[in-house]
Amino acid sequence: MEQILAQLPQQVINGLTLGSIYALLALGYSMVYGILRMLNFAHGDVFMVGSLIGWGVLQLFVRGETTLARSGLALVSMVCGAVIVTSALGGTIERFAYRPLQKGSRLTTLISALGTSIILQNVAMLLTQGRAKAYQTELVISSDWAISALGATISATRLIIICVSIALMLAMDYAVTHTMLGKAMRATSQDREAAEYMGIRTQRVISVAFIIGSGLAGIAGVMIGLYYTQVDFMIGFSAGMKAFTAAVLGGIGNIRGAMAGGLVLGLAESLGVLFLAPVYKDVIVFSVLIAVLILRPQGILGKPVDEKV
Amino acid sequence: MKRQFQLRFRRTRNLVKFLSMVTLILCIGTGFAYSKELPPVKIGAAGPFTGDLSKIGLDALNAIQMAVEEANAEGGIKGRKIEVAIGDDMGDPSKGVLVAEKFAMDKNVLGVVGPMNSATVSAALPAYDRAGLVIISQSATNPDLSERGYRVMHRICPRDDAQGPAAARFIAEEVKAKNVYIIDDKGTYGQGLADQVAAALGPLGVKVTRGQITLEDRDFSPILTRVKATQPDLIYLGLSNPAQAAGLMKQAIGLGLSARFMGGDCMKEKDQLVAGAGGAAEGMYVTAIGKDIAEVPAAREFIKKFEGKYGAMSVFSGQSYEATKILIEALRVAAGDDPAGLTKAKALDAVHSIRDYKGIMGFPIGFDEKGDVLGASIYVYQVENGDFREVKEYPAEV
Repeated sequence: MEQILAQLPQQVINGLTLGSIYALLALGYSMVYGILRMLNFAHGDVFMVGSLIGWGVLQLFVRGETTLARSGLALVSMVCGAVIVTSALGGTIERFAYRPLQKGSRLTTLISALGTSIILQNVAMLLTQGRAKAYQTELVISSDWAISALGATISATRLIIICVSIALMLAMDYAVTHTMLGKAMRATSQDREAAEYMGIRTQRVISVAFIIGSGLAGIAGVMIGLYYTQVDFMIGFSAGMKAFTAAVLGGIGNIRGAMAGGLVLGLAESLGVLFLAPVYKDVIVFSVLIAVLILRPQGILGKPVDEKV
Repeated sequence: MKRQFQLRFRRTRNLVKFLSMVTLILCIGTGFAYSKELPPVKIGAAGPFTGDLSKIGLDALNAIQMAVEEANAEGGIKGRKIEVAIGDDMGDPSKGVLVAEKFAMDKNVLGVVGPMNSATVSAALPAYDRAGLVIISQSATNPDLSERGYRVMHRICPRDDAQGPAAARFIAEEVKAKNVYIIDDKGTYGQGLADQVAAALGPLGVKVTRGQITLEDRDFSPILTRVKATQPDLIYLGLSNPAQAAGLMKQAIGLGLSARFMGGDCMKEKDQLVAGAGGAAEGMYVTAIGKDIAEVPAAREFIKKFEGKYGAMSVFSGQSYEATKILIEALRVAAGDDPAGLTKAKALDAVHSIRDYKGIMGFPIGFDEKGDVLGASIYVYQVENGDFREVKEYPAEV
């Protein structure tokens, strides 16, 4: 018991860090589902591409002056590089893999998403020769910058991850609730046909949703690289599964729900480890999902779907 | 005009007929001539040549091919050429069985170097045994493999029940650790080695706590937080993927965890472990199942040739080369003066009776009744300034 209490603060920090990354990824899932009612299973792999791009940019700094890397310039360029590439990738995937199939059944786009995921994974495997790529986190953010409180070590990396994610989530929330684009998104998600009649270019709204979601996945990719300190071509699958779970947990299609779902999931994963062996952390995650779905099928913040007459 | 054309056309057609007849006869003729020469002897190379572990696999394959080329330059096996048959198992046990069955169906495959992973050897052994096809594994260390009574099983690396106790002795006597946390990856190799270390540490009066991760894990904060709560002097890693160990050590720094690390023979990998950990591996101990062959005089020529051809050696290149050389030597003995009469059974007997083979490993190699290597040692290395330095040697006793 004493040991469990001693671990508690650290595991909460671990959970918040991981949870905020899941939340960022879940946003992309939820946004696309809210508008198109489709599951974008390639989202996890876009995230993986983002993490590898971040690694590539970091290597440019590693070869040059290391003081330059420490100044924060490296972090900014890694994030920018990843966001540019993943946004472009997201837009391209939407244009060529999903848009031609929009008229077909929902299952068709789902299969197309799975195919895209496999392609991205294999291309990344060939380009990296299947090897793990080490993130030199210590060059970007010194491992000496850390706060110790209540027996928990909060490194600067974790703090940055949590702060950046929360800032991005607040920004997203504001954008969806207060801007014209957000209004257009909400309108499109409620009734695409009616939104079209009101003069909203719904196709463009869909593209923008994909681009923003993929950009967020890119940022999450760089953050996971800094947190895990190494990335490889396989990380997209499990992260994608977790983010999808988070989105369902929070109420799929609901932006705030996705954020809440991500944080709950991250905390469940690391707090569950207090009582069970760490090997079971995925079991804990999916048990939480099942429990929530039994008690609240619409998710934590989701609204029950009214029976349409 | 038209007639003339037809005539000429007929003539050309006759010419074509004639030429094809000649070619056909020539082909049959050379065919007969060829059939007098014996078919090549094939050596199977089984290992993970693609996928997660492809780095160690491909380096092993290069070494095997190099040994075969050298043997061919010396006249092969009594005039019969040697070829390498490649069987990629990706480190996956189910694919390991398929590779074994593929080799078993080819009557010219008379011996196999590999498979490399304990789990693949374990799965494929029954298939190799049914075919009576002898295998020499360069790196499968799980003790159980040679205890199951399969006569085809041979290996030139010492077992985990030699490596584990040696590691435990080092931890208790040299590091003088009192409190050890052991993390393994639930794999045949990783958990097997961790079990051995844990079992040997108990009687030495060292407190042991254990935890597990999975091969897919990238986030080690949950387990490391648990580790931190027990405040160990040393953390032992029973992992098979050096990249995973590198990530774990880096994340440990992020949590403010300052314990020594130690790992098994799979960790002795410069690129993924030492470079991948970016300084976090400094001071880490690893046990190795063979001497660093850079220190063996007899291996100098091999290293020069290998590195000139394929770049830096990785952990199992030397062992793969040695295993191939032993197999070729055995095939030569088995062939005697009758290379045509070479069979799988003869090859198996010859490998089984190899004694005092002097190669590049730095100790004379032979096999005991179970196919385990005789006379090997366990070495402990420490990472120092980004390189491995030998700190201790223990004879491999089971």
